[in-house]
Amino acid sequence: MRTPRPIRQSRRWLPGAINILVVAALLFAATFLPPDTSLGEVRRSGTLRVCVPQSAAPLVTGDPAAPGYDIEVLQHLAERLGLRLALNINPAIGRDFNPRNWRLTRAQCAVIAGGVVDSAATRGFLQLLPTGVETGWAAIVPPGEALGPVGTAAVLPGSQGLDRLALSGFLRENGIRTLAARAPGDLVAALETGAADIAISDRFTIATLALDEDARILWLPEPPFARFPLAFGLWKGDLTLRRALRDAMDAMGRDGTLASIAERYGLDGGPEDAADIGELFG
Amino acid sequence: MNDLIPLARGLYGIWLREVMRAVRDRGQLIGGVSRPLIWLLILGIGLNPYFRGEVYGEVRFVIPYTYLQFLFPAVIVLNIMYTSILFAVSVIWDREFGFLRAILVSPVPRGLILLGKILGGSTIATAHGGLVLILARFADITLSWSQVGLALLLMFGLSFGLTSFGVILAARVRSFEGFGVFSNTIILPLYFCSSSIFPLDPSLTRAQTAALYPEWLVFLVEINPITYAVDALRGVLINFHQFDPRLGPAVIIGLAVAFFFIAWLDFRRR
Repeated sequence: MRTPRPIRQSRRWLPGAINILVVAALLFAATFLPPDTSLGEVRRSGTLRVCVPQSAAPLVTGDPAAPGYDIEVLQHLAERLGLRLALNINPAIGRDFNPRNWRLTRAQCAVIAGGVVDSAATRGFLQLLPTGVETGWAAIVPPGEALGPVGTAAVLPGSQGLDRLALSGFLRENGIRTLAARAPGDLVAALETGAADIAISDRFTIATLALDEDARILWLPEPPFARFPLAFGLWKGDLTLRRALRDAMDAMGRDGTLASIAERYGLDGGPEDAADIGELFG
Repeated sequence: MNDLIPLARGLYGIWLREVMRAVRDRGQLIGGVSRPLIWLLILGIGLNPYFRGEVYGEVRFVIPYTYLQFLFPAVIVLNIMYTSILFAVSVIWDREFGFLRAILVSPVPRGLILLGKILGGSTIATAHGGLVLILARFADITLSWSQVGLALLLMFGLSFGLTSFGVILAARVRSFEGFGVFSNTIILPLYFCSSSIFPLDPSLTRAQTAALYPEWLVFLVEINPITYAVDALRGVLINFHQFDPRLGPAVIIGLAVAFFFIAWLDFRRR
């Protein structure tokens, strides 16, 4: 009678390992099931509908030759998904403080663009797809001026919805006089005439100004001033559409399309970082 | 040192027996897969349209994530709860068929036997929780390796505490049937009262929360330790907390230490 050979240590694990592999494969296969119908709906209509404000330069310009960073990115995204881009221009966007009054509904568009800020508050309403650019308060320091004590700051709050109260409170607390600008050109004029030591506005407003080459543009340091990444807003729960747009966006990042669009709109560089609040305001 | 090697081998042997038994048990593995599939795929997708956005600016679901993302960490905890607590069936099994008596008379100390069994159960429960992470892509959750590592650490702590709890229950229940009923009356109420499937809005004060939900329900959620385990995992996996982030790890460690100690006292009396 033959004596049974002992089971090798590695063989002992084999049945268990096969069981675990089968189970893991089953779960992995389940991840390919579509969790919703959002992408299917958009594909059926053949159109990617996007709600945008009338103007939010340089993201949305209204100029057909250079329609804006967000619009060009969306055109590429739609093209890569085999869709037609349809813009739903809504003048109410950004005009009212409460987004509910903009009356944007799922029936009007699948994506909201043109300055959607990636914050916890926005994520309460929408799913976000970062666009790779950010906004925040920035300052223009005239050429030749050493950073130091600031007496007067020309300020244009802009339409980005940044925290104006925090900015005005900070300037007041530090004894800095505020010169209210009515238009972007007023900022440049205030610096050129010496009426202000520095000019402050949101990053995008400053990007549109024709400044002296030697002028320095600096982010207002955080803390206390936060910077916000911008994003495309999708309706919460539209997972398949977001996944498809994210994959297309990643591909655009890899092949350099995003970078070339950003360069065209002057969004590739951005302001410099000030070391701290003391360096900038003295 | 030479005395420790046989003890370590004894501990390893007991751990290995539990692990081998679990991975060869297809029924248990199927349970570990079917729960996340049912809870995440069926319930998550089924309720997703009710929580999705329709009008910008109107809040229906206060959490800054989708319902699937909110549910995902809770499903991991559910898988761990079932596997950990039902692991105690093996303790009843060993007791009924005399295996426990056999190892209790071995030179391995009782505390180490208990530790080996609980570590075995915790390993299996952590693996069942870890399996759910495969579904992260489905819920649109992107995980880094550090997130996965931290999540597995929390899962192991929770598994250890709940497996110890299962052993405590097993010491008080004499039959397989009794344990099945008992465990279901514990697992599901604990799960449902852990803010696993409905959120308490962290931006609201307690008084405002009490206006949304009856006070007794808020009270049950707040005294439930599983609430804080789910919250800790949500913090790691989707970076969202409903409670103080320090509470989750503290409660998990507290559960593990307290339940193991009670289980050890019970085991010593056997």
